[in-house]
Amino acid sequence: MLEKRLIEDILGIAVSTGADFAEVYCELTRNSSIRLLDGRIETISDTTVSGVGIRAFLGTRTVYGSTSDISRKGLEKCAGAVAAAMGDEKLPKSVRLTERIFPNIHPVKIVPTDADMKIRTELLREGCSAAKEYDSRIVQVVGGLASVDHTIQIANTEGLLTSDRHIRTRMVVDATASSGEEMQSGRFGPGRGMGLETFELFPPKEIGITAAKEAITNLTASYCPAGKMTVAIENGFGGVIFHEACGHSLEATSVGTGTSQMCGKLGQKIANEKVTAIDDGTIPGAWGSVNIDDEGNPTRRNVLIENGVLKSYMIDRLGSRRMGMPMTGNSRRESYKYEPTSRMTNTFIDNGPDKNEDIISSIEYGLYAKSMGGGSVNPLTGEFNFAVSEGYMVRNGKICEAVRGASLIGTGAEILMNIDMVGQNLATGQGMCGSSSGSIPTDVGQPLIRVSSITVGGKG
Amino acid sequence: MDFELIKKALIDSADELDIKEYEIYYSSRTGTSVETLGKEISSLNSSSSGGVCFRCLVNGRMGYASTELMEASEMGELVRRAVVNAENTEKEDNVGIYAGSESYGKTNSPEYKPLSAEQMKKTALSIQNENYAASDKVTDGTQSAVETEEMTVRIVNSHGLDLVNTSGVNIVYSAAVVLDKGEHQDDYAVEEYGKLSDKELAEKAVRGALDNIGAEIVDTGKYDIVIAAKQMRTILSVFSSAFSAKTAQSGMSLLAGKEGQRIAAEIINITDDPMREGVSVQSPFDAEGVAAYRKDVVKDGVLLTLLHNRETAMRAGRETTANASKGAYSSPVSVSPYAFCIEAGGNTLEELFAMAENGIYVTEVKGLHAGANPVTGDFSIESAGFLIKDGKKATPVRSFTIAGNFFDMLKAISALSDKVEVGIGGPTVFGSPAVLIKDMSVAGK
Repeated sequence: MLEKRLIEDILGIAVSTGADFAEVYCELTRNSSIRLLDGRIETISDTTVSGVGIRAFLGTRTVYGSTSDISRKGLEKCAGAVAAAMGDEKLPKSVRLTERIFPNIHPVKIVPTDADMKIRTELLREGCSAAKEYDSRIVQVVGGLASVDHTIQIANTEGLLTSDRHIRTRMVVDATASSGEEMQSGRFGPGRGMGLETFELFPPKEIGITAAKEAITNLTASYCPAGKMTVAIENGFGGVIFHEACGHSLEATSVGTGTSQMCGKLGQKIANEKVTAIDDGTIPGAWGSVNIDDEGNPTRRNVLIENGVLKSYMIDRLGSRRMGMPMTGNSRRESYKYEPTSRMTNTFIDNGPDKNEDIISSIEYGLYAKSMGGGSVNPLTGEFNFAVSEGYMVRNGKICEAVRGASLIGTGAEILMNIDMVGQNLATGQGMCGSSSGSIPTDVGQPLIRVSSITVGGKG
Repeated sequence: MDFELIKKALIDSADELDIKEYEIYYSSRTGTSVETLGKEISSLNSSSSGGVCFRCLVNGRMGYASTELMEASEMGELVRRAVVNAENTEKEDNVGIYAGSESYGKTNSPEYKPLSAEQMKKTALSIQNENYAASDKVTDGTQSAVETEEMTVRIVNSHGLDLVNTSGVNIVYSAAVVLDKGEHQDDYAVEEYGKLSDKELAEKAVRGALDNIGAEIVDTGKYDIVIAAKQMRTILSVFSSAFSAKTAQSGMSLLAGKEGQRIAAEIINITDDPMREGVSVQSPFDAEGVAAYRKDVVKDGVLLTLLHNRETAMRAGRETTANASKGAYSSPVSVSPYAFCIEAGGNTLEELFAMAENGIYVTEVKGLHAGANPVTGDFSIESAGFLIKDGKKATPVRSFTIAGNFFDMLKAISALSDKVEVGIGGPTVFGSPAVLIKDMSVAGK
């Protein structure tokens, strides 16, 4: 990490041509990744990411520079380039920093990148073997164990100097099943903002078996029929529906530029009254949690929608200036190479009033989406899509045969109103969310919900 | 950063640990981008980064370690980490580090002249003015951007190989938002700098957004579909991993063992060319240092070869196709194409509409990372486009999915347009003409 004196000098340069604010973000990250294929450890690689991002503001205009050259010379050059792009005034300013230490609410027991390689390779082997042994039709298993040890230092011309260390661990098992004629795949990839103790919560065997089960189910499934129908979406990664259909449209990235369907809707009813949705970066050890965001603000629990009424957006510094609203601790970035912007942390629909069994028994004809893949959205129109990775037809209130190849499409505004039953088994699932500030870990989540009507894409 | 100092420190550390076979893979990127919002420059972003990956053979196993901390004092630790990683790897490496090809081709990309920050600001503002001038329906949220990026790759190894390749590209971008009849729609246009005037680029994006206004939802059913070139190349990119011998040898490609067999309609030809004319980012060598060359992958519908690196080639008992790749400088050696293109057919786009007679012209596909499965070929993707009525492009439609199987679709393509549209940038880009496919499943209302 950088010396306080050096940061003060760099910030001084960055604001020397008229900027009203500047910020320095310094990062040192150790990524370690183990891949297992055909029952053998195929590759082990580790990467050190190291660099600095410097940002200057003048009103809502920003200039950002980043460099992997963290010598004094390299940083002065980067700050000089930022200043030159900001303006040609000469307004030297001196900057004094005061260090601030925020509490660590995400303690880690076993730092994964320090743990013996043998322990890590065995954990991965255990997960992959369980998948392979689950069924003779499982023909291939690919496993990955990734860990990240991420240290950041943030300082700005308001005098803030702070740092944080964030560790996360995730195992992903991909199982492929073959009937001889065709192949289907299944995946499970739980992770936490924790060390190797993550696998006390998720025994590797269960990870492997979950992936294998999904692949086998899909192998025996027929194609999903297409059309509008009632859909029950299971908890955990099912929450990707809210992430795509609504979450992205509540980020200042789109609200602040006027490109979100949610602009100007604070205080309005935008969802069925059974829907309360929350973004909470403070859940201890969760995949999307951090102590401080990438602008140095502590993360918070933000109620986005309460009983169907829009209560809050997710706002970073630039968004705050554009929208005239306070920051919400949601500024995030993949690395120093990206200018930060407003992003989600752990975003979920909260438990509701309905019993899970009532939700299934209420459906005469529809789809039960047990497990979801990823999706995407256009925040302007709210149009979204996402894939069902394990699904079943529902007839007369009973879950029937498995179907595959389904996707759900619609618009955020419509689906939020159509969520007419909300169950009580809230759980989260882990994802990597991609946007303008790179790929970041986020949790999605919900209990079992019912959507009264949505377009199901399929070829059956 | 002085690469020679880094190189020397790595070689000294390798010698100290008695490592005989190793490779130093260095890559750097510098780039600048300018964005507008309203009629002003809203942000300017410049970045410069570089990293080195050291990989070495220890007891017949390959170990990797990488860092962006480009200081000579860090290199001893980097080598030690690579050795530990090799010692814990179980897969034997049968090919080691490459000694070098006899000769290397020459790239023919247009000369790269990075735009200055001033030129970029001027161009971005000019595109933005053209965006607003293109229609009085253009509204807040409309943005334009200009980017320049330069990439260098250098490979030095224990056999004395020392290769370097530098490439770069300037890109212009317009994202138009329009408001008409109470409805917001958007579209974007992206091109290499200099290929279109600022006005042409802006009009392309604005027209695209306006065309989307008033889109209706189609009825669920089977339709004859024309997929626009840009969308077809996106679909090709998602399923391209099936053409990798690495994927095939892992049991995750339905093309495994299909060399010499018909896998597509007879009109389909797919090529892979590291130095395809008009592509800005070209490479005379692959990530192992093997001389790269053009190859026919599918000829008249028959799969001639999968794409190989040296390891997959050895397993298959053949020569590498020089398709070794690294996703990032720090990634293990994998397999990727260069410019991977379905070649043009003989019909104009209008002729494809006429052949479809009544159907859908797909001009937008979304969420392919989720809605398409490269292992099985199954896809069900959110789309938007236009109805084709009486053989002509008609009114806009949206919020429907097209669903099918990529491998079935390759066989079902019944006509190709005469113009291949290739992606921008690199090192991997995809290209395709527009395609006509009969009887696809569409889910709408």
